[in-house]
This record gives sequence, structure tokens and C-alpha cells, in this order.
Amino acid sequence: MTRPVYLGVDVGGTFTDLVAQAAGEPRLRVLKAPTTSDPSAAIVAGVRRLLREGEEVTGLTYGTTVVTNATLEGRGATVALITTRGFRDVLEIGRQHREHLYRLDLPGRPQPAVPRALRFEVGERLDHRGSVLEPLRDAEVLGLVEALRGAEVEAVAVSLLHAYANPAHERRIAALLRPHVGHVCLSSDVNPEFREYERTHTTCVNAQLMPLVERFLTDLTSGLARANLRAPLRLMQSSGGMTTAGQVRGTPLLMLMSGPAGGVAASQAMGARAGIADAVTFDMGGTSTDVCLIHGGHAETVSERRLGGRPVRLRSLAVESIGAGGGSVAWVAGGGALRVGPRSAGASPGPACYGRGGEEPTVTDAYVVLGYLDAAGEVGGLRLDAERARRAIEPLAARFHLSVPEAAAGIVEIANAAMVRAIRAVSIQRGVDPRRLTLVAYGGAGPMHAGRLAQLLEIPRVMVPLCSSVFSAFGCLVADLRYDAMRTLRVRLARGAPETWEAPFREMERELFARLADEGAAPDRVISRRSMDLRYVGQNYEIEVPVAPGLDGRAIRERFAEVHRRLYEYTTGDPVEGVNLRVSAVLPTPKGHIAVEAPSRRRDRGRRRAFFYGAGWQVVPVYPRDGLDPGDTVSGPAIVEDEWSTAVVFPGQAVRRDPAGPLWIEAGP
Amino acid sequence: MIDPVTLEVVRHAIYSIAEEMRGVLMRSARSPVLKEAGDLSCALTDAQGQLIAQGRDIPIHLGVMAFTVQEFLRRVPAPGLREGDVYFTNDPEVGGNHLPDVKAIMPVFHDGRLAAFAINLAHWPDVGGGRRGSYVTAARDRYAEGLCIPPVPLFVRGEPNAPVLETILSNVRGPDERRGDILAQYAANAVAAARLRELFGRIGTGVVLGCAHRFLDESERMMRDEIARLPAGEWAGEDWLDDDGAGNARLRIAVRIRVDGETLHVDFEGTAPEAPGPLNATRFVTASAVFYAVRALLGPEIPANAGCYRPLAVRVPEGSLLNPGPDAPRVGGNHETSQRVVDAMLRALAPVLPDRIVAGGPGTSGLAIFTGLREDGRPFLLYEVHGGGEGAGAARDGTNAVRVHMSNVMNTPIEVIESEYPLRVECCELRPDSGGPGTHRGGLGLRRSYRLLCERGELTTMVERMRIRPWGIFGGGDGAPFRVLLERQGTRTAVKGKDNRDLIRDDLVIVESSGGGGYGPPGGRSAALREADAASGFVTSESRGARRDTQ
Repeated sequence: MTRPVYLGVDVGGTFTDLVAQAAGEPRLRVLKAPTTSDPSAAIVAGVRRLLREGEEVTGLTYGTTVVTNATLEGRGATVALITTRGFRDVLEIGRQHREHLYRLDLPGRPQPAVPRALRFEVGERLDHRGSVLEPLRDAEVLGLVEALRGAEVEAVAVSLLHAYANPAHERRIAALLRPHVGHVCLSSDVNPEFREYERTHTTCVNAQLMPLVERFLTDLTSGLARANLRAPLRLMQSSGGMTTAGQVRGTPLLMLMSGPAGGVAASQAMGARAGIADAVTFDMGGTSTDVCLIHGGHAETVSERRLGGRPVRLRSLAVESIGAGGGSVAWVAGGGALRVGPRSAGASPGPACYGRGGEEPTVTDAYVVLGYLDAAGEVGGLRLDAERARRAIEPLAARFHLSVPEAAAGIVEIANAAMVRAIRAVSIQRGVDPRRLTLVAYGGAGPMHAGRLAQLLEIPRVMVPLCSSVFSAFGCLVADLRYDAMRTLRVRLARGAPETWEAPFREMERELFARLADEGAAPDRVISRRSMDLRYVGQNYEIEVPVAPGLDGRAIRERFAEVHRRLYEYTTGDPVEGVNLRVSAVLPTPKGHIAVEAPSRRRDRGRRRAFFYGAGWQVVPVYPRDGLDPGDTVSGPAIVEDEWSTAVVFPGQAVRRDPAGPLWIEAGP
Repeated sequence: MIDPVTLEVVRHAIYSIAEEMRGVLMRSARSPVLKEAGDLSCALTDAQGQLIAQGRDIPIHLGVMAFTVQEFLRRVPAPGLREGDVYFTNDPEVGGNHLPDVKAIMPVFHDGRLAAFAINLAHWPDVGGGRRGSYVTAARDRYAEGLCIPPVPLFVRGEPNAPVLETILSNVRGPDERRGDILAQYAANAVAAARLRELFGRIGTGVVLGCAHRFLDESERMMRDEIARLPAGEWAGEDWLDDDGAGNARLRIAVRIRVDGETLHVDFEGTAPEAPGPLNATRFVTASAVFYAVRALLGPEIPANAGCYRPLAVRVPEGSLLNPGPDAPRVGGNHETSQRVVDAMLRALAPVLPDRIVAGGPGTSGLAIFTGLREDGRPFLLYEVHGGGEGAGAARDGTNAVRVHMSNVMNTPIEVIESEYPLRVECCELRPDSGGPGTHRGGLGLRRSYRLLCERGELTTMVERMRIRPWGIFGGGDGAPFRVLLERQGTRTAVKGKDNRDLIRDDLVIVESSGGGGYGPPGGRSAALREADAASGFVTSESRGARRDTQ
């Protein structure tokens, strides 16, 4: 008789995080290990350490930044592009603008995803309605096979003009080429939306990832199989839901935002348990910080994002990333201003206080000087050196006639200014008042900054969830299974009968439900969410508006107008048209059984001095996280620590440990 | 004394406001030139009209807007302004550039006092005048170029000013679309004003503006430091426009640049007089081009605001091509002549900054406007600019098919063009062999062709670099010139650079943009780069053969 264990795994560039939940056990097991070049090695080793006698892994969900990093570093496969005659350079010309305005030393834009020598053309042409103007000739397609072989192409991207309106030619090319090349990927499958450059680039990036992700999934499954881990594998996708390996093999782009998605999924789940529908997630690590809005219980998503200066169109969480984190370097700009980031000391040499040769002052050095991080403690096995931290900050302090702690507090406050900007970008700029939100803080440095950010943004409370340092892995444990579908349908709301969109909506739902049924989902447990991309006739950017089944054009129009006013401050009497229909089908993962830490006796870890911006030195109590009594409230200033993270409670705030797990930082009584 | 922390907090806040404005304007606008091509810019000024923050927009606009609010305040004194008012103007004399670029100016109050302005500029696809699209080659004064809007409030205390709004809309083509654009311009300013008021409330108006003035001082300091690093001396540069559309003679732009301690003197003495045709640049456009060139060469990372420009002393002779009389026609001066000012300045400073300059690029908008009536009688207008090959630099080849210097307007996707206009795009490709040879090669131009699918239409061009080719430097060759061809019933004829002409069904307009100039002698080009050129087809064997023959 074996006991089932579920695993959530997040593989980052530096650390592999594992969270294990054994059936019937009150506590989660958590492990952080260095990432290995074969990622399955770290996972298998970690599982061996976490698993006990008589236990068996019955499910493993996996999230990773590996795909993002591969894309950013250009480590994709050799890809050829096939496109309509006369248009092979669309991929290079792009939108013809440059990425920067004044830099003569830099090229105007990055190199195209596929070099010109590997961009091929075929005679064929569709119009914007999908009618064939010039037919495709099989012989011409087959004539390319030799060249593709000669160039040792691993994957072929096919993107023909107007293929979003009629995929027939692309599908014919795929049928002809599949016997001859490893992978073929079609723009009409990956991104059936108009705007040829964006669609073509997206398709090429997807093609570059196909061989890579294929190898990676094969390594992973065989590595796990060798260790006798035959549990079904799920993957965390960019939209914040789980998907299957089969889906990812065809559309590896689904994994592009897999890393940050886990934390957002976890925030959404933990928020739901605490009755929170509106929140901002705040994930601060060493080099970057990700924030995302959760609105009405759903994490906001976008259909396009820029990666490496180029547009990639896919459904992903609306995560705003900024290049500021614990490793960000403080420096003096030419005009005499104190700036923080975007340059980071990275993992090596790292902050000065790591004692690995770094001498520049970083945000982490400021934490040490301020007493937020225990100067006698260690982070990730590294002993901290308070003296080096102080020495690194000293020159800045002298430059601005400040004491060293004042300068350190200034560095943290300036880093916070960048965070405030990012949080405002996902809230106020989308018409949501942060004063109604909860800040969910995680990542190595998140809980250290969150209290102060809440003060600056007048956010009433901060949630520091359990496992906040391995939150993305935790998210893999609680994320829902999710499939998305999208279809272009241009329709005027006033003219179209509801049946115009009801029929395709139902059809899309049938397809998604069938796929979920293949995964063993009972149809009555699947939740469908419909939305339409709407705009005033004449606009080119759409607003996504949720649409319940059966709504008529007038009701949909009213919802659109409401959102338009929220975003743009006005509405007009112009006709409104729909452009795309979208459906998300979600199979919720049961969350009621997530184990909670056992309450333990209050153990004060003593006191230490900590410096607060605007309030100076204070002697503050330090608590181990599991040493706080559930339900008990402690007035700030205070510091709450666990093995991997430190929550700082500012003067005027109070912290409470919820019997259900999270810490709450709120304005004090 | 403002502490360094507050300074950074305010810096983040005001830059994010300027950037948010662009998103609101672009996403809610109606004209393709705004919503797809992004021909728009946004900025914030203090109560005196000094530019304190700008978005990452179009350099020509940003430089001009450094003057707009100040000139506006001379005509509409501050005591007359009310909260919720939004003034619109395209008057070239009010810190303007050309009639199609319409600025929306909103005063921002806090605690009852004028504290700042939000300003945005949007290119309207039509402002009336003799031809659809308002690029009138035959114009010999500004009255022929369309409606001139002096600063008037189109919104008073947040409400539309209907009589004036309707007057303007009845004088421009496409009034419905324009109404949507005006609302989008209003919205961008209203959002910025709300954000600024919130910031003033949170941090204090005095502190915010104090920080803003520190930013100006910082930028000034940085710019002065950069100028002081240049060797003392004076350098001259020149370049020419192909023509002004009225005559065939080329027009000279001459500049002398003198370094005097921490000040840079820029004098355009010797430049051609005001032209009869529409290639005149307002003095604001001229200054904007100077600002761009200096910033690109000396301090691309210096935060852009009015402080950057304080160390520059610009003199432009009155009555010249670069500072014409108030009635001169000016539509092309904005994006053609301004680019030539940049060329002249780069050439002047090439001996001093050989590692920083780039050779001549597509110093033209490469503008083609297609207009006409759809089959159902509704009018259409496609405003399309064409990038070309960038000039090469000391360390790299020029970028292919890109916008350079004063402009950064995007193209319209082919799938958008074919869905919305009776046009079919038959190719969009690079133009092999168009880049000037050199140790580093100039970028390639592009070829895009458009077939008219309706009964009748019009074509307007505003294109330079057809005769005076993009210049190579230090031994590098010139880029291939710009060409526009009209193919009718199998016969191709060349279209002039500044033209308005009728089209008929099945006409094919072929736009071939210029290549960039090369940098350094072609003999110095490495074998590896030559091989890459051949493999990618950027340089064809015919062209290499031809070159050998002529050497």
C-alpha cells in the first residue's frame, strides 16, 4: 500500500525548487537545490530526498524559465521560413522602426529570427477573405526539400499572407514537408491573427523552440523514468494554467512565461482561499521583479508581449517585468543623481556582502546595513559580510552627505520607486485602484519590500504566503488545468444576432471540452470562460471583455463601454465590433486539501537594530515565521524570518499569522 | 534641497506618465497613421512650458514640442486657462512644424494653481487643402496646404466646445475618423492630468516641480560636460535637398558648428533662401533637428528635457529655407529638410567624432499617400512612409530598411492595408545591391509595390534622396537613390519626389527606398563579411562583377 505524493517543481536559472505534498500529511515538504545542466538530474535527486518509504509520486507539474532564457539567448534550433513569393523579407523589415531613438552605435533592431539565406518563397496568394488568388503548386514545395536538407534545418516555420483567414495552403505545405523535416509549424495554428510580421515572427520563435523543447521533454521523462518516476507530467503554461506535454510539443511557446506563471497561479489560488478577488502579485528576485494584476479572481492576461525587442503573440499572463532586484547596483549618474539598476551584480560576483569579489553597492547590501537581513546569518548557504556591505555603500553616502544607513535606506527607497511604477502600470493604468488591492509578496526579496510598498501605494494589506520563497513551485501544485482557444470573427454587435457568436463559441467549447475529456476530466467539472475582443469601428486595438452565454449585442456593448471608459476616459456612440472570440476551459484542481503548517509555540528570536526610511534606527523583535502564534498580532516594526525569506514590518504596521498559513501585514491599529 | 530619493521617486513617476500617454493615444485613436504607424508624441512641461519629460516617441516632434507650450502661452496667457480645457493648434508659428501635426495642450492645475501642461501631438491624415492628405506639391503658401488652427479650446472645462469642433471637422476630410482622433488626444491628456494631480497631491506640487527643475539642471550639466570634451574649434558641413517640388534646382543646407567652452554654437548662414515649394522648415523644426543631432552624437543617454538644449546657441538666418516667413508652404520641411539638417551636422562633425557618426541614410519620409473612393463610395486614405538602408558606422554595417534620425514612424501591415483599402501589396522585400560599399556596408533599401483595385485614386509623394544620394564617408560609397515607379498597362515611368497625380484601376506603384552610405574604403571589408553578403543575397554576383569592371 503506497501513499500518493504530488509534486510541484520550478526550474529557474540558478535554483530548482520542489514542493511535495503527501496525502493526509499536514505539512508541505520544501526543497531548494542548484539547477543542473540536465534539469531532470536536480529533480530526481530532489525527489529522492523528499520522498519517504512507501510513498509514490502520482503527479508532477513542472514550470521553468528555461524556455524563456533559450529564446532570449538565441539558443533556438536552425529554422527555415517558407512564405508567400515577394514577402520573405517581411520578417527582417518588421515594422521598419528602430528600438531606440538616439543610439547611433547600435543597429536599429535585432537580427531577424531566421537569416535571409533560410527564408524561402513559394508562389501562392490569398486575399484578406481567404479566397485563393493564386493556387499553391505541390511541385514547388517539394522542390524546396533538397535545400532544407542541405541547410540541416531542424524545423520549418510556414507563414503565408492572410493564412489566418484560410489555412489550406499552409496545411498543404505541412503535409508535403512533414515526411522530410523534423518539425513543421504553421502560422495558422500558432497564431491565427492578422498582421503578418507579428504572426510570422511568432511562428518562427515557436519553430525554434520545437526541437529544443522536444529534446528537453524527452530528457525529462526518460530521466524521471530511469528513477522510476512514472507519474503523469503536467507543465505550467504562460497563461497560468497547466497543460500537457503533448500540447507543449506542438506549441512550445506555451511555456514562454512558465516561470512567473507559477507564482501568479499560486497567488490566485491562495487569494481565493482567503477570499481575495483583487490583488497584485509581487515577485522580487535577484535581478528582476515581476508584477501581475489579479482582478475579480482572474489573473489578467495579454495576447502579445515583447521579448528581446520583438513581438510574440500568445496568451500569457499580463506580467510586468522590471530589471530591478536584490542584486541591482546603486550608482551616481552623470548629472549627479543617485540611481539604482538596471544593471545587476548578478549571481557572480553578486552583492558586496556575499564576499565573492563584488565591490559595488547593491540593494542586498543595503538590506544588510539596514539590519533587515541578519548580518550574522546566511542566504542560500552564503555567509553575509556586513562590513563589506557597509564599505560598498560608504562612498555613496559621502557623495550625498548622508550617513551610511541613510544612504542604504535611500537605495531601498529608490528601488521601491521602480516597483511602485510597475505596480501602478498594472493597476491604475488599467483603471484599477490599488487601494482596493492586496499585495501578494514572494520571491527572495518580495516580503522585504512589500510592507513599504503597501505604505507608498496605500495598499491596505500584504499577504506573505506560505512557501513564499518557492512559490512558483507551489503554484505548480495548485494550478488549474487550462486550455485556451481563439478565433477571428468580425461582427458588428448591433447587427449580429447573438447566434452569430453563440454558435462558434459553442463549437470552440466542444473542442476544448473534448481535449479535457481526453485528460480524464469530467465535463461537469470544467468551467468555461468566454470573452470577445471588441473595439469601436475604426479602432485597431481591441479590449477583451468577458461575455456570458446568451448576452445580446446591447448588453455586450454596455460592458465594452464601461471598460473603455475605465481605460480611456471616454466613450462614443460609434458602432462596436467584435474581432476575436476567446474561450478558456479550466478544470479546477481541488485546493481544499492543501496542508497548512502546524501552529507552534511563539519563540522570539531576540532583537536587533533595524533602520527605517524616515524613522531611523529602531530596536525590533525578530520572529521565526513558525514561531508566531496563529491569530496573534504583533505591532511593527518587526522582522519575521524563515529559512529563505525575510518579511519586514514597518513602523505603523502590524503583522498577523493566519491560522490558514499566510502572514498578513496591515496598517497598525 | 531635494533629497536624492524623492528625486528618483518623481523621475519614475513623471516618465511613466509620459509613456502612458502614448499607449492611451495610440490604442484609442482611429486613423491608421496613429493607431498602426504611431505618428504621434507625448510630453509634459512645467507651468512655463519647459519640457520636463517626454515619451519614447518621434524625435522631430519632441524637439518641436520644447517650444510649443511656450509659444502657446504668448498667445493664450496663463490667467485665461481653466481646469479641463484642452487647446488644439497646428499653427506652424506656435511652436509648430507643419499643418498635419496637431498638438493638444492641457493645463494641469493643483490647488487652484496652474502647475504643468500635458501636451501631445498627432499626425492627422488630412487637414484640408488642395489634395487629399494635405501634401500639396503645387502649394506656394500655407493657405493652400489646409486649415490652420490657431490655439483654440476644443474642450472647455472637460466638455466639447461644439461650435469650434464642428467648424474644424467641416474643413477636414474624414470628419468621423478625425472626431475619434480628437477624443483620443483629449483622453491622453486627461489621463496625464489625472496622474499629475495625484502626484502633486501625494508629494507636493512644489517638490515635484523642484525635482523637475533639477532634472533640467542635470541634463544641462551632462550636456555641457560632453561639449567641453570636444576639442575647441569650428567645423563646417553641408548637404542638399533634391529640389523643393516647385523647381528642379537642389537646395543647400550649410552649417558651421563652433565649440566654445561648454557651449555649442550652430549657425546656418549660407543656407538656401526660403523656397517657393513646400520644403521650408520652421525655425522650430530646425532647432529640433539640431537637438537631435547633438543628443545622438554627444549624449544619447542624457535624459531628454529642456535642460539638454540650454548649452546650444542656434542661429538660423531669417528668410532662409530653415526659418521662412509665416506664410511659406512647409509640409515637407518637417520630415525632409529636417533630416538634411542632421546630415549637414553629422558631416560637419565627422572629422571630430569619426567613431560616433554614421554615414548618410534614408533622410526622407519616403512618403506615399494613396487616396480615392472605395467601390461603395466611401473615401479612403493610406499614409505610408518607407524606411531605407541606414548609413554604416565605424563598427557595424547599416541596418536594412529602417527609419533613421528624426523619424521613427512604422509601416502599416500588408494584411491591414488589404483588409481596409482597395489596394493589393505585391511585394515587400529588401533591395539587393542598394547599400553603399565600404569597410562597413550601408544598409539595404526596400521595395514595396501597391496595386490599385478601385476605379480611380490619387498618389501623393514626398520623397527625397532621388538625386542627391545617401552619402558614404571616409572612402565608403554612396547608397542607391530612392525611386518611385508607376507601372500602367505594362509601361513603367518614374514618379517625381514631390508629386500629386491621378491613378486608375490596376496601376502599380513601386516604391524603392534608398540604400545607406558605406563607411571606410570597400577594400577594407573582411572576407567573412563579403561571404555573408553573398550568402544572404544582400550583394549579388552581378553587382560585384559590375563593381570590378568600374574599378
